[in-house]
Formats: sequence, C-alpha cells, structure tokens
Amino acid sequence: MQEELFNIQRQISRRRFLTRTSMGLGALAFGGLTGSTLMGQHPGSDPMGKILADRGLHFPPKAKRVVYLFQSGGPSQIDLFDYKPVLEKMHGKDLPDSVRKGQRLTGMSAGQSSIPVAASYFSFKQYGQSGAWVSELMPYTAEIVDELCFIKSMHTEAINHDPAITFFQSGNQQAGRPSIGAWVSYGLGSDNENLPTFIVLVSKNAGGQPLYARLWGNGFLPSRHQGVQFRSGKDPVLFLNNPDGYDAADRKSMLGYLKQLNALQQDTYLDPEIENRMAQYEMAYRMQASVPEVTDMKDEPDWVYDMYGPDSRDPGTYAANCLLARRLLERDVKFVQLYHQGWDQHNFLPGAIRNQCKKTDQATAALVKDLKQRGMLEDTLVIWGGEFGRTVYSQGKLTKDNYGRDHHPRCFTMWMAGAGVKAGMSFGETDDFSYNIIKDPVHVHDFQATLMHLMGVDHERLTFKHQGRRYRLTDVHGHVVKDILT
Amino acid sequence: DWVIKAFNDNMPYDQFVTWQMAGDLLPNPTREQILATGFNRNHSQNMEGGIVNEEYRVEYVADRVNTLGAAFLGLTLECARCHDHKYDPISQKDYYQFFSFFNNVQESGQISWDNAMPVPTLLLTEEDVQSRLDYLNQDIAAALASMKERTIDEAAFEQWLADGGPKKKLTRDIRSEAIGWFPLDKLPVRNRRNPRQSGIMKQQFTPDAQPDLVAGKDKKGILLNGDAWLDLGGVGVFDRSMPFSIGLWINLPEDMTDGVIFHKGDGAIIFNFRGYHLALKDNRLQMMMAHSAPYNAIIEMGPEVAREQWVHLMMTYDGSSTAKGLQLYLNGKEVPTRIESDHLYKDILFPERDKQPGLQIGARWRGQGIKGGKVDDILVFDRCLHPLDVQQLAIGNQQGFDTEDLQALSSSQKQQLRSYYAMTETGHQRELKQIQKLRAKQNSTADSIEEVMVMAEMDHPRQAYILERGQYDAYGDSVFPATPASLPAFSQDLPRNRLGLAQWMTSPEHPLTARVTVNRYWQMIWGKGLVKSSDDFGNQGDLPSHPELLDWLAADFIESGWDIKALIRMMVLSKTYRQSSIPSSELMELDPENRMLARGPSGRLSAEMVRDQALAASALLVPTIGGPSVKPYQPAGLWRVNGGKYEADSGEGLYRRSLYTFWKRTIPNPTQRTFDAPTRSRCSVRREETSTPLQALVLLNDPTFTEAAYQMGLAMNKYANLSEGIQQCFRLLSGRKASQKEIELLTEQHAFEWEAFSQDPGRKNGWLASDLAVSDTAELNRIAACTVIASTIMNSDASLVKR
Repeated sequence: MQEELFNIQRQISRRRFLTRTSMGLGALAFGGLTGSTLMGQHPGSDPMGKILADRGLHFPPKAKRVVYLFQSGGPSQIDLFDYKPVLEKMHGKDLPDSVRKGQRLTGMSAGQSSIPVAASYFSFKQYGQSGAWVSELMPYTAEIVDELCFIKSMHTEAINHDPAITFFQSGNQQAGRPSIGAWVSYGLGSDNENLPTFIVLVSKNAGGQPLYARLWGNGFLPSRHQGVQFRSGKDPVLFLNNPDGYDAADRKSMLGYLKQLNALQQDTYLDPEIENRMAQYEMAYRMQASVPEVTDMKDEPDWVYDMYGPDSRDPGTYAANCLLARRLLERDVKFVQLYHQGWDQHNFLPGAIRNQCKKTDQATAALVKDLKQRGMLEDTLVIWGGEFGRTVYSQGKLTKDNYGRDHHPRCFTMWMAGAGVKAGMSFGETDDFSYNIIKDPVHVHDFQATLMHLMGVDHERLTFKHQGRRYRLTDVHGHVVKDILT
Repeated sequence: DWVIKAFNDNMPYDQFVTWQMAGDLLPNPTREQILATGFNRNHSQNMEGGIVNEEYRVEYVADRVNTLGAAFLGLTLECARCHDHKYDPISQKDYYQFFSFFNNVQESGQISWDNAMPVPTLLLTEEDVQSRLDYLNQDIAAALASMKERTIDEAAFEQWLADGGPKKKLTRDIRSEAIGWFPLDKLPVRNRRNPRQSGIMKQQFTPDAQPDLVAGKDKKGILLNGDAWLDLGGVGVFDRSMPFSIGLWINLPEDMTDGVIFHKGDGAIIFNFRGYHLALKDNRLQMMMAHSAPYNAIIEMGPEVAREQWVHLMMTYDGSSTAKGLQLYLNGKEVPTRIESDHLYKDILFPERDKQPGLQIGARWRGQGIKGGKVDDILVFDRCLHPLDVQQLAIGNQQGFDTEDLQALSSSQKQQLRSYYAMTETGHQRELKQIQKLRAKQNSTADSIEEVMVMAEMDHPRQAYILERGQYDAYGDSVFPATPASLPAFSQDLPRNRLGLAQWMTSPEHPLTARVTVNRYWQMIWGKGLVKSSDDFGNQGDLPSHPELLDWLAADFIESGWDIKALIRMMVLSKTYRQSSIPSSELMELDPENRMLARGPSGRLSAEMVRDQALAASALLVPTIGGPSVKPYQPAGLWRVNGGKYEADSGEGLYRRSLYTFWKRTIPNPTQRTFDAPTRSRCSVRREETSTPLQALVLLNDPTFTEAAYQMGLAMNKYANLSEGIQQCFRLLSGRKASQKEIELLTEQHAFEWEAFSQDPGRKNGWLASDLAVSDTAELNRIAACTVIASTIMNSDASLVKR
C-alpha cells in the first residue's frame, strides 16, 4: 500500500491527489489540516502520532468499525427504557405547565385541547448486574443490558422527522451535508478493498416515515464516500451483475483488454487519473465476487439463524440485515448502518410498538451477543436509537388501553455498546415525566463527536472546505461524552 | 423548457437573470416573463405533517438568498445568516436585507399532501383552452352585466308591496328552504331537510361518538370539546362556482383566540386548507375559501366577536370566486372585512376523491377547535342569501317589514325590499342559473390546467427582521431591502424590490455578476474556473490564475450585450482552448493541474454527458427538445424507502438527453448521482469529479450502456472490414481516431470474445436483444463480440475523458 502511494505520488501533485484519489486512501483527507505532508513527514518525531496520522487518526481508535441500528420514526423511550412510575398516578391528567414550560409542540398536537399524561401500558423490570430498567417489550435486549450503555438524556433540536433524521445523520436539519458514514469514509478510508467503506441496509419488513438517499449521501464530499445501499435480491449493489451468461472470467478478460487500451492512452497523456480509474475497475471486479459472497448467507449454521430469530432467514428483514451486518463487520467494513422504519406511533401505540419490538428486539440482541462471541465487540461500536423520542402526553384520545405519542425532541433514550463504551451503564436522567433532562444532557452533536472520537477522529479537526467555509459533522458544536468512555 | 429556450435563443444574460429574478415585476409582464421567476421557487419544499410552517417558509427565503450568492455574486452569503460573515464584509444585517427582497411571497412552509402545486402559481393554459376560457368569461361577464342592468317591473313591485309581500316573505320560516337544517335539539343529530343525513362527533383514531347536548340558543345545543368535530353527514359540499350560505348560533368561550368554527375540508394546513372555513384567528373571525392557501384562496379577516353569549354567524357566497362575493354576517348584520388574499383560481374540492369531506363543526384534524364552545341551529343553503334573509334568521323581523303601512317604510328599507323583490323574480332566477352553469364550466376547465410555481409579490410586503442565530422565530431589528455597503451602491432610481435587485446586479458597473458568470463558463469548458472557487469570490476563495484575462472577459461579455453564445464561441475557438492536451512530462511536472493553460483542457465528462454521449454515439438518442421529464431505466425498488414506485418509460423516454431525466431529490437517479451529479437539494455551481468502482459498474452493466454497446456492436458488425467498424465506433465514442495499436488490440479482443462465445454460446445472451432477427449462431457470436468491443471502448479513458 505504502509502495503504491509513493508511486502515485511521484506522478501527481499532492493537491490533485487529495481531490481525486479513491477508496482506501481516505486517510489523506487530513493531509492539508494537520500540517503534515503526504507521506508522514509530520512535525515532531512521535512514531505513534505518525502512524495514527497516516491512517487519518487523531487518537488511538477504540472502534475499528461501527454498526448503527437506526430506529426511524422515534421510538418511545417511555414505553421501552425510561421507566417513570410516577406517571401511573398522573395518568389522564393534563401535563402540568411547569413541566411543559411553554415548549413548542408539533403542528399535529399543538391544536389539541388537552394533553393528558399517558403512563406506559407496559410493565418494567430491572435486569442484569447493572439493574437496567427494560419494559416487557424488549425481552431479548433485557438479556444483554450488561453490555449496553444507555444514554437516557439524548436531545435534539428538530421536532419533525425529516429535519430530525437529517440532523442526526448529517449534523444539519437541512439537506445538503455529508452523512456520518460519509465523514467516516472521508476521514478514515477503507480496511477492505473489496467492499465499500459505508454500507446501508434498509429493512423491507417495515414501513413508515420516508427515508432519503441523503441520509447516507456524501453531501459535498466526493461521491466515493456515499453509503452504498445493499439490497436483498439478485442485484444487492446497483448494476453489480454482468450481462446474463457473461461470467467473472469473461469479465476479467474484458477488463484485461480495457487495461491495455487505457495503458495506450496513458502512454500519450501521462495522466495518473487513467491508472486510478483502472484501479476502480479492478475494485468493481472484486466487488462482483465479494458482494455475493457476503450477502449469500447460506453458509450460516442453523444455530445462528435461531439466535437472530426466524425472520433472519428472509433476506431484507431487519433480522436478516442484522446478520448480514455481522458478516460485513467481520470483513472489516467500517460503517454499517441499518434503517428500520415504523416507530412513529402517533396513535394505537401499544399495539404498534409491540409489533415493532417483535420485529427487532431479538435480532438486535443477537447481533450484540454474536459480536461478543466472536470477540469483535471490543473493537466494534454498536448503536441503537432513533431521531427523537415521544411525548409523555397522549396525542389523540387517551383511553384505558390506547394512546398515541407525538414527537418529543427534549429527551429520549439511545444505547451504545462495544468498543470503548462503558458496559452496563446508564447515563443521564430525565424528570418524572420523561419530558425534560435533569442530568447530563447529550446533544446530537455530542453523540456525533463521541462516535467520531471512538473511531479515533477529533470531530473538530475533520473538516472539508466547501463554498467558502470549512464544514464538519458537528457544525460548530459537540463535546465528546467522556463519562461513558472506558 | 423556458430555460432551454432562453439558451437556444441566446437571450442576453442580463435579461435572462432579470426575468428569472423579477419577471413578474416588469411592466405588464408577459406569461414568459412570469414563468421565468420559477427560478426562485425550485428549492426543496416540505410536506411533512406537523412541521412548523414559519420555520420552513423562512428556509425557502434563505435558499433564495443563498442561491443569489452562489449563482450570481460568487459570495457565500449564507455564512452571514447566523452572525456577521467571518471573512467577507457581509454583516448579518446585510444578509437579512437581501432576505427581505425575497420575503414577500404568499407561500406556505408546509405544502399540500395531495401534491397540489405549491403557491403562488401560474396557469400554463394551452391556447385552445384559453380560447374556451375567454369565451366562457365573456359570457359570464355579459350575463352579469345584463343581470345588473335588469330593471324590475316597478308596477309589479308596488303591487307586491301592496299585497303584503314583504310580510309574507320576511316572516316565513326560511329554514325550511335550507338544504341542511340541524336544530341540534335531540340525538341523534339529524338534518331536518334530509333525514338520511345525520351528524356524529368524529376524531382521528377515535371511535365516533354522540355529541353532548346542553342548553342551546333554542332548546338544546351541543357542547364542543375542541378535539372532535361534528360531522354533518356530507352536507355542504360546494365547488367554487356554487353559491351557498352557512350559518349557526355559537357561544364562544372567553379566552379562545384561535379555533375553527366550521369548515369543509380535511385537516387544516395538511391540505393547505382546501375547502372553506369560518374560524377564529388571532382573536378575529376569519373566512377562507381555498384551493391551496394562502395564495390560491380568498382570505378575509373580520371583527372580534363577543364571548360567553350566543351570537349568530353566517357566511354567504355568490359563486364568483372573489372576495367581493364572500360575505360575513354577525348577528344578522354584514360586517366589513380586510382582504388578505383574493386569487382563487382553482377549485376548492378534492378532485381525486370519490367522497368529498362535508361540513364539520367545532374542530378539525390536526387543527385547533373551540374547546368549551356551544353551537346551535346550523343552516346550510345552496344559494347566496339576501341580507334581509340573514337578518331575519339572526334577529327575526325586528325592523318592521311586516308593517301593513307602506308609508312607514324608510327609503333605505324600500331599497332593500326592491333588491329583495328583484331577487325573487323568475327572470333573475333564470339568469343566476345561467351564470352558475357558465361558472361551473369555467371551473372544470380551469381545474385541469397545469400550474407552475412562480414568484408573486404580496400587496403589502411582509416585514423582515434580522433573525438572531438564524432562528426563524428570534426576531431582531427590522430590516428593509438593501445591498451591502461593500458592494456598489443601490441607486436611488431603482425600485427596492427584486426588479431593482436584478437591475443592480446586472448593472455594467457591478464588479461581480459578469466576472462570476464568465468564470463559470470558463469552468464549464476548461474544467476549472480562472477563479477555481467559482462559488466563492470572497477572501476565502482562490485568487484568479489570470486576473487580467478574467477582467477582460467580463468587460467584453458586458460590451457584447451579455452574449453567452459569443462568449462560448470565443472560448472554444481560442488558441488556448485548441491546444493539444497532450502534456510533455516536463509540463506535467511543472503544472499538473494546467493552471497556466500551456496545454488544452482535459476532464471527465459530466454525469449527464457520460450517458448522453453513449446514447448519441449509438444513435439511440432521441433529440427532441423540451417537454415533460422522462423516466429512463432505473433498478426496481429504489423508491421504496419513501413509499414510491418508479415506473420506467418505454420507447423514447428511455433515450432522451439526461437533462430530461425525472429528478426526485430524496432518491436521485443513481446513474447520474454515481457520476457526481448533485442532488439538487441546494444551489451548486461546482461539482466534484471522482472516480469510483460504482461508476465502473454503471458503465459496465447499466442497461442504458449495455444497450448502447449493443447498438454499436450491431453497426460495427455490418462493416465488411472489422477494423473499419472498430474505428468508426471508436471515433463516435471518443471523438478521435484510434491508433493502429488500439485497433490491433481491439481486433485481438474481438477474436478472443468471438472464440469464447463460439465455445459457449450461452455467454452472449445478456449482450444481445431478445428480439434480434438473426438465427445464424456464428453471426450472433460476431455481433456479441462486437458489442463487447463497443462496451470496452465506452469504458475506456478515451470515451470518458475529454482530451
């Protein structure tokens, strides 16, 4: 790799190199910022610093890879993890103004004539050594709480899905900025030359609030950093399959000729971009083999399927995607993001959330267990969470066994597990109504800063200049949540 | 289409910019001039239920400012949205002064769920439809005129008076003439005029319920809880051509400032208030009839209204689609209103629904209702009631019209009676019917006309403020249209609106507009601008590599009359451009980026060009100009993540230039996106140029490219001499002749592929069209081999990179 880089460098200027090179070389994104030159002539002589910087790192990373299980729609913290016994007494009474404090509501419930408190329909128990509270909805997650670090004090700025999810994934409520995975790819490059750095899996067994390609988009970063959606079916990556009948050997010969043809062009034009493009063709060719190899899960033993649950045999389901995620992580794909829609329970919440948990709980827990068994949890960061939480008051009519909850940005629960994160921990606290945070608030930008930190990146130093300004994932905010780090 | 035509007609660039910025503000603007202003409306818009309307409206205005900066001024104005610009002399106040130019559009932050075109819009009326409309409008005008001129038969009128007509008419129970009469005295609630229609309390996701009966104005009435609405079973469905009147008694609670009294619609802003309503808004009565509020609507603000007592409210409408025809009566007296919007030009019904929502009382889905309010005696008429009728309903006959003594009538009373009498004449009734018939036709004709978003200035500009930290609701000082002190002065002679702004920008003295423009064309042709940061001419931008050249080009551009074609012609015919792009190794060492222009430019084709080039070279390209967007090939299922389904076109739609590809911002066309086409979420004037494995997969396997290769393979195979066929294919794709070595290599590959296909014919299936009328296997193998050769050339540097 180093050898290759030197060769390329001989031919082109550093700047051109930085803007044009492809996967695997993302480490160089830092070249212009750290004052280092291309190949490690860093100020000082700290050999560790040099190695880190070569790989685009500011700190020794705890996490080599991330799997982010995004629960789209906004799961109800009140019905899952943020246990509030006081609510039973308040059930049916209007949320006190002293709690709401005049904060804005969405246009969906702002017009409501009353906002009655709805205690959770579900029972809670404490689990594990850590004694974490988990509702009856998540029996499998309950089994792994000692691996998890719950953040009960997440908060965000947006109160509607589109801006909130865009904010979570790109650090800005309006479309146009790069997604977290794209920043990771830009900052750290790839550890696997045969698979994309950033892979996205969307559950087919869910519907709900829309998703957008920008959530895994590259924004203004070069397009190679965009997340590649793997889809179930015969063409997991767009245009992966050769024309019918034309097999890998045929393609290899064809590319051999293409390489020779390009070499003739190169002799005349001396443009290193020609070689670079040919390298991309070679990687495409390798992907044609490696993608089916990883997405075809027939070689998984029954006990694995049993652990992830029956859905895991049905490609494209959340459970199957969790299993596929583990296979991708095993191959050192740096950033795998799952999306599962359907947590937007404005009405009929008790029934809908039960269904939602059935589809996700077992496989989520299985993924954590599976990574642990394989010794991968120590350098893999697992994240579970949505774009905001839900209100303690009922949207729509509150009845004995039915209620809905509107969007609630002021507090919600996420969890992280694995690399560099304290296990069996609960961080942050909300008030008796799970409405306001009373201790250790964690803003979305803090979460993003922490994620980057765990990957060895200083969120303030990973920037990209675009339209006159140096942008970063966390805009001008974000503090690493040191208290949850090991 | 407007933009394409403007380029083809070589519209002078200053005019091009002026029309797009402010075509609607030009004197007597033409349709084309108004249409051009769509430029400032093509930002992303949000229809998510529950968003804060103002938050998004502000985003739209901000987008216009940011676009102005990036596209015309080469300034990063958006950096000054939250605080003064860190590097350039643009204060936050400057930003919001620009903002105030674009802030006067009667638009909605949340757009309608049924994809109604976000307002304001321009009707794109076809000529034949326009002539039909003109004809109808003429007839309507004529009928109205004749109705106005009609004089009553005075003798008959006097006779009517003498016969006690007023008493008979004005003491009768008008309620029995209603189509909806809900006394609300017992349950279930029924329409006395149509017992099949009954009323029930409805609320989203909640079982229907009987209303609560309480003491009413007359016997019983019903109590409202603010969340559930009394649905009256489908009465009250009127289109905008139909006259109607709706009235009720209501007792409003003390501290209620906002809430809907009655409406016909579905939710509130969700469908941009499609339908009509009478509501409390900011403590005043508000009447609305909307296709898509706030622009395509009639909105009138009435007075405040008494609380904790029964008041009679009635809204009457004459079918004219004008604010003048929409009246509000409070306790039987017509009350003056302030007109906030008066351009209803499409229907107030939901065109695609089998069942229209009808009249609903006291609350609405995702809106505010009248909690604690009481209503009684709801009436719905399918005509526009005369003021005397309304008065009688509200206060009974308290003005002495029932007198037998005609001398006792005042002259104004007599005048009222005269108009009342006129209304009852059969001739008048006939005319009304005729007018309504014409209006119904006009309505259905207008409803099918396509619309397009345009700019339209509000009658009274909206006050703009500095928004602290860029927050939509954090008002700082008020600001007015103005430009930064660091730029040329905004002449006193210019109007302080978008037109003045366009004139300021395109003034020959302006230092930025022309430079930014010629620089962007330079970038288009050379791959990089003379100022590399074509989006930033500020202190953080790049310095021009050839400042004098930039100045000269800009000055020449202005002197040429902002002639774009001349500018491009000059650039591409220049000696500099026409140099060979083959570098010496010394030059490559000295100036790898070619900033000094010692050789010709080279650069990868853009996303659109890569595809268009393959289509053009293979003769698949359909060169039609203009028309609706098309849906070329795209892998199935991509739109599923947000609930859509992409259905590719067949035939010509597959082969139009990429410019015409249907663009869905949330899931852009993958073929183009993979080659660095921006998502179009925001203004972008510069693209990254990357090289990725996904690009390789597109060029190798995307059906657009395999099909193009196949067409070229067919053509190649027709040459008696293979190397001639290869040469022709190579030239078409790369624009140059293949060298001897290249021909030899490709000939060798052809032999190789042919051999492979001969050994295993199944290998070629994917390369050939299934309907190919050739049965000779050897021939098929040759065609397939040629197809692979064409694909190889298509994937080569010679095709992808302009050199």
